[in-house]
Amino acid sequence: MVSSISYLGLCTLYLSDPSYWSELQRHTLASYDEALLRQVAARLVKPRNQWPVADLVERGAAAISNPVLIDRRLQDLTPPARRVLALIGHSRQPYWNLGNLVELTIALGHGDGLQPVLELLEAGLLYPRLMGATEAPNSNGASGKKLKSFEQWMAAPGPTGLLVFAPPAIASRAMGEDLGLPDLSKDEVRAGSVSDGKPSVAYASGSFQEADGLEWLLRLAVLWQQVAAAPLRRTLQGDFFKRDFERLAQDALLNAAPADQLSEVPDVAFLAIALAEQEGILTDNEGELRAGPLPAAWDKSLAAALEALWTDLPRLSTWNPLDGWRGGEMQAGNPFPSAYLLAFLLLARLPEEASVRPETIEQWIIAQHPYWTNESLRPSRQQPWMEKFLLGVAYQLRLVQATRGEDGAWRVRLSPTGRWLLGLGEAPNLETVHTQTLLVQPNLQIIAYRQGLTSSLIARLTQFAAWEGLGAACTLQLQPETVYRALEAGQSFDSIRLTLEQHSTRGVPPAVLDSLRTWSNKRDRITVYPSATLLEFGSAEDLNEALARGVPAIRLSDRLAVAASEESIEFRHFRLTGTRDYALQPEKCVQVEADGVTLSVDLARSDLLLETELPRFAELVGGSPASGRRQYRLTPASLRAARSTGMTLTALEIWFHQRAGQPLPPAARLLMSAEQMQAPQLRRHLVLHIVDEDLADGLVQWPQTRELIEERLGPTALVVAEANTAALREQLRSIGITLSEP
Amino acid sequence: MLNDPVRPASGARIPVKLHRRVCLVQTEDAVLAEELLARKKLAQDVVGRLTDRVLLIRPGRVETVIQELQKMGHTPQVSMKDEGRRTK
Repeated sequence: MVSSISYLGLCTLYLSDPSYWSELQRHTLASYDEALLRQVAARLVKPRNQWPVADLVERGAAAISNPVLIDRRLQDLTPPARRVLALIGHSRQPYWNLGNLVELTIALGHGDGLQPVLELLEAGLLYPRLMGATEAPNSNGASGKKLKSFEQWMAAPGPTGLLVFAPPAIASRAMGEDLGLPDLSKDEVRAGSVSDGKPSVAYASGSFQEADGLEWLLRLAVLWQQVAAAPLRRTLQGDFFKRDFERLAQDALLNAAPADQLSEVPDVAFLAIALAEQEGILTDNEGELRAGPLPAAWDKSLAAALEALWTDLPRLSTWNPLDGWRGGEMQAGNPFPSAYLLAFLLLARLPEEASVRPETIEQWIIAQHPYWTNESLRPSRQQPWMEKFLLGVAYQLRLVQATRGEDGAWRVRLSPTGRWLLGLGEAPNLETVHTQTLLVQPNLQIIAYRQGLTSSLIARLTQFAAWEGLGAACTLQLQPETVYRALEAGQSFDSIRLTLEQHSTRGVPPAVLDSLRTWSNKRDRITVYPSATLLEFGSAEDLNEALARGVPAIRLSDRLAVAASEESIEFRHFRLTGTRDYALQPEKCVQVEADGVTLSVDLARSDLLLETELPRFAELVGGSPASGRRQYRLTPASLRAARSTGMTLTALEIWFHQRAGQPLPPAARLLMSAEQMQAPQLRRHLVLHIVDEDLADGLVQWPQTRELIEERLGPTALVVAEANTAALREQLRSIGITLSEP
Repeated sequence: MLNDPVRPASGARIPVKLHRRVCLVQTEDAVLAEELLARKKLAQDVVGRLTDRVLLIRPGRVETVIQELQKMGHTPQVSMKDEGRRTK
């Protein structure tokens, strides 16, 4: 299970799966050297005896399911260490970069940021990620190299840096810990942000506005469609090739401003890319980004979809609100994940109904966060970015609410969704009550009114219609390609029709249903098996018997059945008489009989290609599966038919070399090329038979007789024209040879 | 075995020859198969006809065949092994 998922993009479904975490914890503990394991176990499970290593690993992994034990161990920790766990708990992201945790600890006022993290590692409440992002553990659950100490691990950060994880069951127990963060609304009051004697933080001029939380889902849906149509290619440095970069940067839909934009987000299309990669919507295949499936969380609820996006924020490394897209750059540290979390936790400290300006939060972070307090920080790194993040990203994720203060500046506070995601409130009900929100028009255009959209409806629409406009009323277009894509993804004409009918404000126009039906039916007319397994039976009865036993195959003919995958076939039903792999070269399996035209096929070694090639130029004459051989014969008619379908003498010669391992037999060549040959002549000749070959050579060479001989038929047979008979007899007599006649 | 003249008894193992990684196109009817074979670009990737409705495709050419079918206006159903819904 551990090996089956990526460590970097972790689904919220796994967050609540204790078995995943205990398995991961078991694997990590098994990767510790015995001395380190005993050191950690001594604090985590406190064994009374000298338990075997395997027992320590098991008991350590079991600790995760014992809340009482976890609470006791938390009490044993120093407050800074408990705060680190609480921060992880609030983030809902179990994986954090070690550097970000150190930054958070320092920002909370602890001089040595590393010490609390080390304390947690040694207490068995935090674990190092020891594998590569996609590397699977060994079959015994342990990695090849044992970890001797945490210092050794920290000294060798891999290409992905140092990652740690805290199982949610542990981190969530620490969430009540006071983080010591200030109430910044008081700071604003102290700083003189007061209007008419009242602090403006508590008396915003208008009511708070909250986004619907769909904006990023819609943009990710658009991106999914774009990449499904044409994958994106990356350079070795991690950036996109120029054509794809421009395609993304200039895409009107991805870069369009949201309907209720409060602040501009830099490189918004590339933020969509970064989020999509975390969500698994886009998958990297050897430098090519391709469309994966849409997240399962979208089908569950909008809250689940937003929760997944929330957990993605600390994992964003290729985009940040200060620089925008940084995909192709070497990055030395990324302070933004820790800054994002601090910003939300500072908002959580505000009194109810209070709000602050984003720059107030930014000022606190600049004053406390070790990245920005560094005196050698370049001025370009000190530019404001918090407003872009809170009003541009977090607002559209429904994490914060915003309002205009009396001074006209935007103020923000946490939304109920943001409070819930931080673990500080109940889950809000985000589901819409309007289900009829689509208007399907006869021209195959769909208008989707935003107030009735849900995450699951967005997912379904994305599969069968192309997004053409995002706004208060979104537009989509039904196209053959999009419907085909939906059918490929498992939808059907009925499911598409049902979706449209369930959510349409009016009935779906008959013309639209007709088009959908036509496209769906057309798809059913042709089935392509790209890599099927074909079962060839000896008889129709055998095939019937196999199907009766429930073999998941589709009958193609009386002896052939096809299965889309070999994995589903239960081989206990079968005795294999032969296997052929079509990715391999054709095998020699034909024997040419002495007559040169009869071909005997070895059925155990033959393949389907052969079975389809032979009937093109030969006739089946005998043999059976029972005999293990099948015979074909080249006939004038069969080869004439082959020529008429475009088969050439060269193609036949190649076939004989490949399949019989010998050149084309003369008889076969005769039959294949006879019709192209010059017509033979039937002529009468006088043949001079000589007893000795040398003598015949002499007659052919001697000038006196040479011109009297028309042709040499063989070693001792010469053709003589009837008119030259007398002259030849005379010449032979002159050298003492008398010509005898029958 | 294919060359075993004795029929398998009920429950006995059935002799079968396995053809792995075969690329096939199955059509709804024979006329449609003829229509496909009449398309020159498609026909050159068809190595044979297993039945009147089943065409055997040259190994490694299936993507080209699918693209050509789509160019012809067809929306072929591509039958792959079952893939479960991703849970990231």
